[in-house]
Amino acid sequence: MLSQSRLYGYAGRILRVNLTNREIKIERLDEKFARMYIGGRGFNIARLYYEVPPGVSPLSPENKLMFATGPVAGTGFPLGARLNVSAKSPQTGILGDSNVGGHFAAEMKYAGFDQVIIEGASSTPVYIYIDDGNVEVREADELWGMPISRAYDALRKEIGDPRVQIAIIGPAAENMVKFSGIFFNRTRPAARTGLGTVMASKKLKAIAVRGEGYVEVAKPSLFEKLVEEVELEVYTHEQYWPRRIMGTSRILLAANKIGILPGNHFTEPIVPYAFDVSGEKLALKYNVKNRACFSCIVPCSRVFVVKNKNEAFMSEGPEYEALAGMTVRIGNSDLDRALKAIELVNDLGLDAITTSEVISWAMELYSKELLSTEETHGLKLEWGNMDAVLELIVDIAYRRRFGGILADGVVEAAEKLGKGIEYGFHVKKLEMIQADPRGLKGYGLGFAVSTRGADHLRSEPFVELSDDPELGLKMFGEPEATLRLGVRGKGKLVAYYENICALVDSLGVCKNLAENMNILDYSKTAKLIEAVTGFEVTPVEVRMIGERVVNLERAYDIREGVRRVHDTLPERFIKEPLKKGPSAGHVIELDEMLMEYYEVRGWNKQTGIPTREKLLELGLLDVVEDFVSRGILPACE
Amino acid sequence: MVGHIVVDPSKCTGCRYCELWCSYTHEKVFSPSLSRIRVIKDDLIGMDYPIVCKHCSNAPCIQVCPTGALYRDKNGLVKLLKEKCTKCGACIEACSYGALFRNPVDLTPLICDLCGGKPVCVSKCPTNALSIYPLMEVHLGKSEHLGKQYTVAVEDYKSILERWGILVKSE
Ligand code: SF4
Ligand code: SF4
Repeated sequence: MLSQSRLYGYAGRILRVNLTNREIKIERLDEKFARMYIGGRGFNIARLYYEVPPGVSPLSPENKLMFATGPVAGTGFPLGARLNVSAKSPQTGILGDSNVGGHFAAEMKYAGFDQVIIEGASSTPVYIYIDDGNVEVREADELWGMPISRAYDALRKEIGDPRVQIAIIGPAAENMVKFSGIFFNRTRPAARTGLGTVMASKKLKAIAVRGEGYVEVAKPSLFEKLVEEVELEVYTHEQYWPRRIMGTSRILLAANKIGILPGNHFTEPIVPYAFDVSGEKLALKYNVKNRACFSCIVPCSRVFVVKNKNEAFMSEGPEYEALAGMTVRIGNSDLDRALKAIELVNDLGLDAITTSEVISWAMELYSKELLSTEETHGLKLEWGNMDAVLELIVDIAYRRRFGGILADGVVEAAEKLGKGIEYGFHVKKLEMIQADPRGLKGYGLGFAVSTRGADHLRSEPFVELSDDPELGLKMFGEPEATLRLGVRGKGKLVAYYENICALVDSLGVCKNLAENMNILDYSKTAKLIEAVTGFEVTPVEVRMIGERVVNLERAYDIREGVRRVHDTLPERFIKEPLKKGPSAGHVIELDEMLMEYYEVRGWNKQTGIPTREKLLELGLLDVVEDFVSRGILPACE
Repeated sequence: MVGHIVVDPSKCTGCRYCELWCSYTHEKVFSPSLSRIRVIKDDLIGMDYPIVCKHCSNAPCIQVCPTGALYRDKNGLVKLLKEKCTKCGACIEACSYGALFRNPVDLTPLICDLCGGKPVCVSKCPTNALSIYPLMEVHLGKSEHLGKQYTVAVEDYKSILERWGILVKSE
C-alpha cells in the first residue's frame, strides 16, 4: 500500500504556510533528517536552530511557529498521541516549546504532514484549514475574540465535521498576554512558554485539520509483538489504576504526604485541607467518566460535573498543575471555585502554571504588606480570596487594571512594580511548577537546567519518588539517585531522563509511559523505532538521538545568551530550609548536583556551554561552526 | 438474533484504539478512515460514542443496493460483494445509524464483518466498552410478582444489560 517514496511510520511531508503572502509550500521529508532527529521536538529544534536565529523578535513575523509529531503517532502504539509545538518564546526569549496530547497529532499525519511550519504574519485574523492535501488560509474575523470553547464549537460547525481537530488561541493570546497557550479542541493546551501569543502575533486564530490518510509500519509482526508487550506492562503496572482513576490529579495528596506542595506560594509544603482539593476527592464526588488521548490505553483524563446547584457546570480535567495552582498555591480550599477558576484560565487561553505564580506571588507580597490595595486596584489579595482571583484572571487575559501588571509574567511584573523580584519564582523567566524542589532534588536540578526554563517535563525524574536505593544503584550506580532527598547521582538521573523525554517528545509518545511508568528504555525504543520506521538502530544510537536534541536545544539557548549563571533556582529554595512536614530542614544543594550534571553532559563547567567534542560526537558540526563564527567557541583548541 | 457489536458509551474514552486496530486488521495500515467502527466525539460534553454496523434484520442498506452487491451471508451478517459494487453510496445514505462508511481508497462501503467471529475491537478496547451481542441470555420470570418498582427498574436496566452483550428474555 505504501508509496515507494514515503518513509515507513512518517506521513513524509512538511507543510509551510507563509501568512504574510499566503504562500503554501509542501516539502518532502528527508530520510537523513528523519534519522537524525526522529520527529516532533527533534524536528522542531532542528529547524528552529537554523531558521530562527538570534535577533529575531519573538512576536515579529520572522519568528516561526512549528507543530511536529513523530513516527509513532497515528500508529496503534499505546500512548502515541503527542504533538510538539515550538517557536522562540516571547515569555523567556529563549526556546519556546510545549507538548500536547489529544487527537491533533494523528490527524495531522493522516492529512499527510509530519510537521507544519507557520511563517510570517497575516494583517487580518485568519485560520488555516488542512483537509488532506488541501490547505487553505481562511478569514477568521468572526472567531477573533471568542474564548476557546466557543471558537472550537463555531469552527467545527463551520467546517461541518465532528472529527476535525482544532488548535485554537483565546482572548489572552489575542491581547498579547505573554503566557498564553495553544488549546487543542478545548481542554488540552500546549500551554507553556507563550506559544499562543506567538500564534496571535501572526493573527492566526486556529488551525483545523482533517485527514483520511494512513500510517504504515515497516515491520508489522515486530510491531504487533511490541504492542502486546507494552500493553501487558501497562495493564500490570502499579500506577495503572491510580492513573486511570485520577490522572495526574492524584499527585496532590501524595505531594502533601511528602511535604512538597507549593502551599501559599511555597511557604506551606503541607496543608490541612489537602484531601478537600485532591484527585481522590474529585474521583469520589465529581468525576463521571474517563477520556483518553488518541490510541491511549491509560485513559487518564476525567469528565467531571460540579454538583453545586447555583454554580453547576461540566468540563474535563483538571491535571495536577492547574489543580494545585488554583488551590494550595493561592491558599484556596474550595474545590468548586478552583474548578471554576481553572475553567476560566483554560477558556481564556492562559497557561495555568504561570497564572498561578503571578497570582500567588502578588498574594505573598500582599500578605507581607509590600503590595497595597491601591496598587491592586482595590483587589484584596488575601490567601484564598477566590472572588478576587476570578476577577484577576479575567483582568490578566484582557490586560486590565492590576491584571495588566501581571500579564507579562512574574519578572516583568516585579520590574513594573519596582519590587518583589526576590519572591518571583521562575528560571530563565519561565515560572515554576507546583512542586517544592527542596523536597524533590532531582526535579529541582531539572528546573535549573531545562532548555525551556523552570519545568518538570523536560526531565521528569519520577523514579526519585520511589525512594528505592537499589533502583538508583542499578540504573545509575548511585543509591542516592533515586532517593528524593538524595544529592549524589542526580546529575546522571536528570541527564538520563532529559534524553528520554527528548526522545519520546520526538517519537510522539506520552511521558506517562516512558518516564512515569518507566517503560520505554533505550533498547525497547530501539526496537520500536525499527518496527515503525525500519531504521535499524542500536540502543546507543537511540540515546544519542535524545542527547542530540537536548544539546541542540541547549545550543539554541546558549546562542541566545544562556550560560551557567542562568542554570539556577530562586534563592528561597537554595537558602531557606523548608519549615514543616516530612521534608523539613531541607534546602536544595544545587551547585553540587549541577557540577555532576555538566560532567555527565560533557559541557564546560564554568560556562555551561556544550564542548566541541560533545557537539562533534553528536554530529552537530554545523553548531560548532556557528559557535565559532559567533565567538562562543574558540576557532581552534 | 444476528450478532453485532454493542457499545457502552459511558465506558468509552474515545481513544480510538478500536478504529486503529480494525483498520490494521483489515487493511494492514493504521487509518481511522479505513476502520469499520468510528467513534463520534464531542469535547464540550465529553461524548465518545462508537458507531458500528448492527447487522439489522431488516437491513435498509441491502434493500436499497441497486446491484445486489450487499447481501446477507449464512451467519446473517450484512456482506459486500466488491465486484458488484458500483460505489453509488446508496447504502451509506440508507443506513439510519450512519454505520456504513465510504472507503476513501476504493469508495466502496466499509461494513463491520465481526472479524470472522473474533472481534479485534472488542479484544483491544482498553475499557470494556465494546461487547458482542447477543453473548448470552438471561431469563427473567414475570416481573409482576416483584411489584411495580421492580418492573420499572428492570425495564430500564435491560438497555444497560444489552450494552454489555446480554439479551434479556422475559416470559
Ligand atoms: S477502543 Fe474502546 S474505549 Fe477506545 S474508542 Fe474504541 S470503544 Fe471507546
Ligand atoms: S468487529 Fe472487527 S470489523 Fe467489526 S468493527 Fe470490530 S474490529 Fe472492525
